[in-house]
Amino acid sequence: MSDFDAIDSLLDAVGPQAELPACDVRRELRERARLSKAQVARALGVSPSTLSGWESGRDPAGEARAKYAYLLDGLNAKLATDTENRPEPAEQPMASGAAAEDVTSTSSPGSGRGEDEVELLAVPEPCVLCGRPAGQRVAGFAQHLTPADCRPTATEAPAAEQPAPQAPQAPHAVQAPHAPQAPLGTARPAGAAARSRGPARRAFQEPSGPVDLIREAVQGALGEHQGDVDAATAALVKRAIPDAMRLLDVTRKGARYDVIAHPWIPDILKKQTARGADQIWEARPKWTRHELPPGRHQVTALDINGAYLSALKTHLPLGRLEHSTGLAHDRRRSGVHLITPPEWEHEAVLPNPIGQRDEPGPLWVTEPTLRLLLRLSGPKHQLCDPPQIHESYTSGATENLLEKFRIALKDARDTAIEQGDTVTLEYVKAMYSKFVSTMGESNYNRELYRPDWMHLIRSQAFANLWLKALKAHDEGLAVVRAMGTDELHVIGDWRRVFAEGRAVTEVKVKDTYTAGSDVAEHADEGE
Amino acid sequence: MPGKNIDFGRFGARGIKGSDAVARKLDELAGGIATPVTAKRGWMARLHYLTKSTPTLKAAQDAGLTVTHRTLKAWLEGKRRPSKTSLERIEQAYRTVRRRYVARHLLRRLNRDGRGTRVEIHPLNQSQVPQQLQRVVEYRTMNVRRWDRIVGSWAAGDHQSLDAAWQDTIVDLGSQWGQYEYVTNVGFAA
Repeated sequence: MSDFDAIDSLLDAVGPQAELPACDVRRELRERARLSKAQVARALGVSPSTLSGWESGRDPAGEARAKYAYLLDGLNAKLATDTENRPEPAEQPMASGAAAEDVTSTSSPGSGRGEDEVELLAVPEPCVLCGRPAGQRVAGFAQHLTPADCRPTATEAPAAEQPAPQAPQAPHAVQAPHAPQAPLGTARPAGAAARSRGPARRAFQEPSGPVDLIREAVQGALGEHQGDVDAATAALVKRAIPDAMRLLDVTRKGARYDVIAHPWIPDILKKQTARGADQIWEARPKWTRHELPPGRHQVTALDINGAYLSALKTHLPLGRLEHSTGLAHDRRRSGVHLITPPEWEHEAVLPNPIGQRDEPGPLWVTEPTLRLLLRLSGPKHQLCDPPQIHESYTSGATENLLEKFRIALKDARDTAIEQGDTVTLEYVKAMYSKFVSTMGESNYNRELYRPDWMHLIRSQAFANLWLKALKAHDEGLAVVRAMGTDELHVIGDWRRVFAEGRAVTEVKVKDTYTAGSDVAEHADEGE
Repeated sequence: MPGKNIDFGRFGARGIKGSDAVARKLDELAGGIATPVTAKRGWMARLHYLTKSTPTLKAAQDAGLTVTHRTLKAWLEGKRRPSKTSLERIEQAYRTVRRRYVARHLLRRLNRDGRGTRVEIHPLNQSQVPQQLQRVVEYRTMNVRRWDRIVGSWAAGDHQSLDAAWQDTIVDLGSQWGQYEYVTNVGFAA
């Protein structure tokens, strides 16, 4: 018989696939709810890159699809209710007071099961079922314990008239929490039940900490200058460096690794003279195509948004850099390397990945440049020979050291763009750009002496730009120029390759101009 | 004192005294003339600094620059060059006077109105120690609130009292403080 049960359950599973909104709607819903990809991916049990795929064209299938559809449904309903009717604050104390009594009465029978613990919340959080403030949390989800409190909201009124007992309906039960007196959802997998408990999995929580810090600083400055936008911006830009350091401290709260601010630094990373540079080559691209394809062309100068902000995600060495010679590249370590770069034979169509180097011979490059070269020499691209590594100063590395810091700034930036808030935008820009430029041996920021990080982050920005040039080239556009950190000139229909917009993943048009074989020097116009 | 190292480096550990690392860092923070004293530009700049005012000249004389005004004048006018021993004295006097003058400002910045400065202590290097004798010595940080004794003895050039002051400070690391008597680096900002 059990064979037939299995077949039956299979047959049950085969049904109409859950409907999903369009890709950009999926992303927009998530961003409006202020949820990071990592958060959502964890809740769905997939990797963040899979989620990125879902948000940019691919479609999930099977159980993951059902979960994802449920999440998007919930987000949609929640955001709709948030904008339509906010709960009146007057009824909160009453609701939580009544709820507290409910707990005392219901927890004694419920405690025998030992499955779900009811936590009392000091500050009411929105119930996951109805969105109104609830005073208890069960299995990490704030919710009402009795159906009477859990009143349906205006938007979902017809669908869920008596929500609480039936709310964890069969297809949705994988995600929906359940009140202690309700029967345990059978469709809910055991793994999900075990994982969904605990404070880490609270859905729809207000973002706290880093982003609030930025918002408070902006509001404080605006209040201090009586709403004078220019004065407030100037004041905020002036204190951007200490504020960025404070933000970094806040985002590293409870983190695994310390930010080591004053390690021993090898001589190659020290400035030779007061005005001079150290010996690290950052591989800044400065390339203009020698010969355009024949004919006249419309060239578009694209600008990569927030190049340094995105480059904060790079493999940063944690501790003191240690010297090694003649070892192969170790993916778990990061630092600076003395390499002999390979010959570059595609100068006519693509910039050299190590930049415009005039001197021949070995040079000190950073981790992002080396990784780029290794990647290009790999089986997928085969654009050059692998570089020869002679010496390295490396340390154990992580990509996540500045990740929370970056996401806080990115979120603040996205919100500011959405709301047309120029003060926050300028402030965020000053924070990340000054943070990067003063984290080395600068006297403007003495709390962090990491010239290695500064070089790595810059090189990462250059490598990101280079990879965008490669992407354009692979998609059939003609790359005309790659300059600095964020400037890419292309010929062709670039809109099918890059999305246009102001988010960090998108590009914006700086300039368009025509160039062609009869006007050879015209490419200089797009400065 | 218990916890102190008796024969440091016997099994191959490498490092410098914590107080030396602190003095080095303070010297770095104090800054000063970068050109070496052996170059004309270097000793001239030092002499200009030392003869800028009567109190500095007095301080320089106290610090060992015991030459007559006639000699000083000849040096400053470029008629004569200081001898090798005089150059050493100039350097010594310059460092002493500079430290004394900078110490005031440095101390205020380090104390930060009683909030203190975060200090990073990078443990000694055990890479040359046999495997079975290596110990887990972690990277530590601490907040130092009172810098008066440390900066004071550094400014006076008194290594012994600087060492004593630093030891009294790192005792706050807890029972493991003896492991941090020798370090690779001590980092802080002012």
